[in-house]
Amino acid sequence: MIEARNLSKSYGPVRAMVDVSLAVGAGEALGIVGESGCGKTTTARTMLRLEEPSAGTLSFDGADVTHLRGEPLRRFRAQAQLVFQNPFDALNPRFTIRRSLSEPLQNFDVPKAERADRIEKVMARVLLQPSAQWLDRRPHELSGGQLQRVVLARALIPEPKLLVADEPVSMLDVSVRAGILNLLRRARDELGLAAIYISHDLALIRTVCERTAVMYRGRVVETGPTAALIAVPHHPYTKALIAAVPVPRVDQDRAALPIRGSLSDPPPSQAGCGFRNRCPAAFARCETDIPILRPTDPARTVACHLGD
Amino acid sequence: MNLLSVEDFSVHYRTRRGPVRAVDGAVLAVPAGSITGLVGESGCGKSTLARAIMGVLPDAARVAGGRLMFQGADLVPMPERARRRLRWRRMAFVPQTAMSALDPVQRLRGHFTEVLCERGGMSRGDAVGRAEELFDLVGLAPERLADYPHQFSGGMRQRASIALALALNPALVIADEPVTALDVIVQRQVLDVLRDLQARLSLSMILVTHDMSVVAYTCDRVAVMYAGQVVESGSVRAVLERPLHPYSMGLTHAFPDLAGSEAALVPIEGSPPSLLDPPPGCRFAARCPFAEARCGERSPPLVEADGHAVACWRADEAADLRALAAQPAVWAAMAASSLRGA
Repeated sequence: MIEARNLSKSYGPVRAMVDVSLAVGAGEALGIVGESGCGKTTTARTMLRLEEPSAGTLSFDGADVTHLRGEPLRRFRAQAQLVFQNPFDALNPRFTIRRSLSEPLQNFDVPKAERADRIEKVMARVLLQPSAQWLDRRPHELSGGQLQRVVLARALIPEPKLLVADEPVSMLDVSVRAGILNLLRRARDELGLAAIYISHDLALIRTVCERTAVMYRGRVVETGPTAALIAVPHHPYTKALIAAVPVPRVDQDRAALPIRGSLSDPPPSQAGCGFRNRCPAAFARCETDIPILRPTDPARTVACHLGD
Repeated sequence: MNLLSVEDFSVHYRTRRGPVRAVDGAVLAVPAGSITGLVGESGCGKSTLARAIMGVLPDAARVAGGRLMFQGADLVPMPERARRRLRWRRMAFVPQTAMSALDPVQRLRGHFTEVLCERGGMSRGDAVGRAEELFDLVGLAPERLADYPHQFSGGMRQRASIALALALNPALVIADEPVTALDVIVQRQVLDVLRDLQARLSLSMILVTHDMSVVAYTCDRVAVMYAGQVVESGSVRAVLERPLHPYSMGLTHAFPDLAGSEAALVPIEGSPPSLLDPPPGCRFAARCPFAEARCGERSPPLVEADGHAVACWRADEAADLRALAAQPAVWAAMAASSLRGA
């Protein structure tokens, strides 16, 4: 459905995304994980064409959308929707839920006669039933979990083929997160959407994505089926990322992390691997050659000189 | 021996629509030499309780009842002058974002000498030595004391703010969501600093968080708050492995666990009641799949057995309820009714 090839995005001298190649098919969900500043949000925004790539190509449903403008870009955007992170400021506080849901229909030229029916269907999909009890309310009358259902409804109502969710539950209370994740998964399965989830939380990604890409300093450093990548991570950064996640059990591994320094310490030069200054396994070649993603088995890739 | 005991303690916020009972009869014991997690969702009163213990409540809040027994004395009737003498020396605070606690135009060294000299009566020379010792303790290079806060990463600032809290050897450190704003690797490193300090200095700490995994990783004891009240408390093992309150039972299935099974997650739909006019009975009753008539009528008291306390009318059936709570269908039925016409 969507495919990025060697996509890059720079803001002046800052290379936010470098040579990213990712593909997501209909009915598939891809997770992009990494820490703040790793380029995951830039990747999502560029794949939605909210940003124009600096280099590389982006194709959607077989067509090149890398540099679309004007009317064709508007049509693409109807097909590729974003679920906002913060439900508390994603909706206009003065609009009723009905108006918030009607707006995208108007923007994307859905005939008036169809609109009520579309709203009814989408409210059923996000389980806000009966819809009459919700549509005339304003955002302040809803809880965070209910608001996020409306935000999801607004993303689904143009009937997109691609859904991108950037930290879709991070602002919600723990007890209601699962409800939103379950809805996202159902919507993807039943509508055959291609989905991309951006998160710093691998545990969350595991519950919704079959495949995962790990980003570090603007580059994809590892991809693979989520379960396999978590069970046996190949890249030293992925290993550290997984080891760092606390689990809700008393008996858990508390050994020191296999990583040093912090994300804010840049490697000494652009040459070589971007992770080498924090890597416990770095060797001479890591100083000079940028590792490129290479397959380790038919379903997985890693950008690391170890074992190459 | 308890360092702090919170007894039937309440804090109300003044609002135009009437008092909001942010903390309403909370009960909590913090033993010396342990890390106690105070866990709950937004609006449950955990931060308000932490601030009340520190004596730094906002103007609109007032203590509406109860006692805060700290090292044998009740903090509630104590005049502000006496509370000020306790802050930094006997109890210290680590805020969520260190940036809000650190003055951007002052070098780190200045923050330490201010606390050590003005609050602790130390000489300048001794203060510099002590500041270096504190930086070393939290894993920061002492020469970075010459830096300004903006030259530090988020994780380094949080370490600095922990070091600052420890400056005058307080008996109690209260950390309010100290790792929430940090990335997972940095979060882990800061939690390791806290665990290490606890072990080396036998520190007593209250860690306020919304994240049960952070509690499991870091804390010895935990108190679960819901709608202004402590609904369950005990050792982390007891509360996680044998929860007695249906809210705690529900939480164990509601969030993903990286190392656990891939079973479907089960939300606890709905939201806590308004604390402007809370319902008469148990505050969780409207979201609880096990609620009975009495739950909506009278508020269950916090009852303790073997150091594990719970406020639930059906606590004696907890083992059976746990088995039921493990079934997603039990919560799904509840969810359907709470989303309908909420």
